[in-house]
Amino acid sequence: MREKVLYALGIGAIAILVWNINAIARLPEETQQGVTFKIIFFHVPMWICAMTAACAALLASVGFLATKNFKFDAAAVAVTEVGLAFTSAGLVTGSIWGREIWGIWWTWDARLTSALVCWLLYAGYLMLRKAVEDPTQRATFAAVFSIFAFIDVPIVVFSIKWWRTQHPQPVFWGGGSFPPDWNLHFVWNMFAMLMLGVVMVAVRLRQEDAQREIDALRRTAHAL
Amino acid sequence: MHVIAQIPFLAQIATQEEILQHQYEYLSIGWTAAWVVLAVYVLMMVSRERKLKREIAGLKAMLEERQK
Repeated sequence: MREKVLYALGIGAIAILVWNINAIARLPEETQQGVTFKIIFFHVPMWICAMTAACAALLASVGFLATKNFKFDAAAVAVTEVGLAFTSAGLVTGSIWGREIWGIWWTWDARLTSALVCWLLYAGYLMLRKAVEDPTQRATFAAVFSIFAFIDVPIVVFSIKWWRTQHPQPVFWGGGSFPPDWNLHFVWNMFAMLMLGVVMVAVRLRQEDAQREIDALRRTAHAL
Repeated sequence: MHVIAQIPFLAQIATQEEILQHQYEYLSIGWTAAWVVLAVYVLMMVSRERKLKREIAGLKAMLEERQK
């Protein structure tokens, strides 16, 4: 039953995104950047999902250190991995957008650099988990590392406010705004991406459960 | 020189169309890239799920064998 609900949510999210592509393509062009500006409908929701995942990873890591309950550890790894996928997509779409508008694929400004550092930190978190054998030690080290990695998240978010960057000021809290019909499609995309993220995290959590079952079966096999 | 480029008004239209086409190309590349990254991750999850299921089935079979 739970599986069916998950798949239904996933298919629903994809259906909204596909329907929205069609609707977004028919929206009028932006005055300065033209059609290219519409990458924002994917780029920003992906980054919001990535940053939400980073916050969830922080909470789960703190939860594990406080309670030593492995469910928090499973939640931390699930949201971090899904968040990393969204971060990767955010970096790629941003780079393509930058190539068209700035004429360059990449620049070492505060926003882009801190975003890349964020990607490296969370990729490092997943590598650290693979390097430590003992489950308790692995979960503890990973939780501490995740809390440390989160330091970069406010830097990514506020870098465009704190420093002069090539990356523009945000549309929504930088004095700009969307026309109402643009807002509607942006919110739909945002909602669909978050829904997709939740489904991915749920599937990944189930895989962590399966991994724990495998560990238990291996221990039983050793004992026999 | 192409005949359209010799007439200023038509040349301007041609350039605008070219710009628009160029922008649509980048927009579609951006959207496709976003989908591809997420699709790759979903495929990785599907392959991991299969591997885990196989491993659980294998271990359960081995334990049953040993207990006989």
